[in-house]
Amino acid sequence: MTDHEPGDELFARLRDADPAASLPAADPDRVARLLEDAMSHDTQHDTVTESRGNGTHGRSPLTWLVAAAAVVLIAAAGIFTFTNSGDDPTTPPTAGGDPSVADPSVADPSVADPAVTELTMPGATAGRCMIPNAELLSGAAYAVDAEAVSVADGVVTLEASEWFAGDPTDEVEVDQSSADMQALIGATSFEEGQRYLVAGTGTGQVMVCGFSGPYTAELAALYSQAFGS
Amino acid sequence: MSPEHPDARRARFEALVREELMEPLRRFLVRRTDRAMADDVLAETLLVCWRRFDEMPAQPVPWAYGVARNCLANAQRSVRRQERVAARLAVVDPPRETGDPVGSRDDALHEALERLREDDAELLRLWAWEQLTPGEIATVLDVTPNAVSIRLHRARAKLREELGKVEARAGHEESEGGIRG
Repeated sequence: MTDHEPGDELFARLRDADPAASLPAADPDRVARLLEDAMSHDTQHDTVTESRGNGTHGRSPLTWLVAAAAVVLIAAAGIFTFTNSGDDPTTPPTAGGDPSVADPSVADPSVADPAVTELTMPGATAGRCMIPNAELLSGAAYAVDAEAVSVADGVVTLEASEWFAGDPTDEVEVDQSSADMQALIGATSFEEGQRYLVAGTGTGQVMVCGFSGPYTAELAALYSQAFGS
Repeated sequence: MSPEHPDARRARFEALVREELMEPLRRFLVRRTDRAMADDVLAETLLVCWRRFDEMPAQPVPWAYGVARNCLANAQRSVRRQERVAARLAVVDPPRETGDPVGSRDDALHEALERLREDDAELLRLWAWEQLTPGEIATVLDVTPNAVSIRLHRARAKLREELGKVEARAGHEESEGGIRG
């Protein structure tokens, strides 16, 4: 969300004056050349010019300070300590590697209910964020590459195209109604039609702090590394 | 994390740049400098992103804007240094730092923006042009989201005020011109 009210005239006027509004897309050849140039610099023994060093090295500690601050904020969402306050008592998340699969036989048989893996967003508790890494991710009870097909009443329904971990079910539901931390952990704010990589713990909680999020090449690489696909 | 194969790493970077970074970065730079410098700084920014690829957060765009911002500041410092040298040799008109606007031109707005403190103007650009949230702006500027929200609120008020002044003056000049004409 951008911090402006709908119909904010100033915002609209600024938008209209955007100098890049009619900028054509980059020439693919040029993009390829730029990438080639950038990556031709060996990261291990790159000789840093003075001006470049001033700009980026000088920034680094502050960047990490902000990152650290973000970690503290995100920590409130807690991935290692969990509250179950938001859980529906009729469908308690089970421990271990077994996702809480809603038993289709309980439902009216005339309505062929799909098997659903239900996850909740972690509640606001104290905790620490780890830097996302494949080792921790590989411990996820379930992990999916999925598209958010609907978002209603705080419940996101995802259709998985790939299960990295866990027993595949027809759908994955994430209850994010209690997740007032979404603004902080933007990575796990779900939008219909978007593709996500979502990992969950054995207790039915979404792993946040960068372990789950919109599909990106980087996150996909982490998942591939963790689950060896 | 086990070491990644260099080719896989390159492919991952390339995909990330193509899919997520290239267009936002180009636009970011075109909004702040002339085309030639935007091109140079884009190359420099990608180089720094590649070198610091391991540090890149899950939401890479605001972070990359921060890198681009620093690279641009360096390039502009370097130009100013060269200009100081040139000024000793000959009196020249210094080139404007921003130019080549390709969007529609709202002169009053651009003038009002230029009258603001650079910090305030930059906040407004990040807010309206890059359309970042206060949290994302905080990442770009290395400040707290709370500070961004407060300063953004003030910057908007100042822009409205400057815009009012610019437009009042323009209206005044127009009416005077009308009388003379």
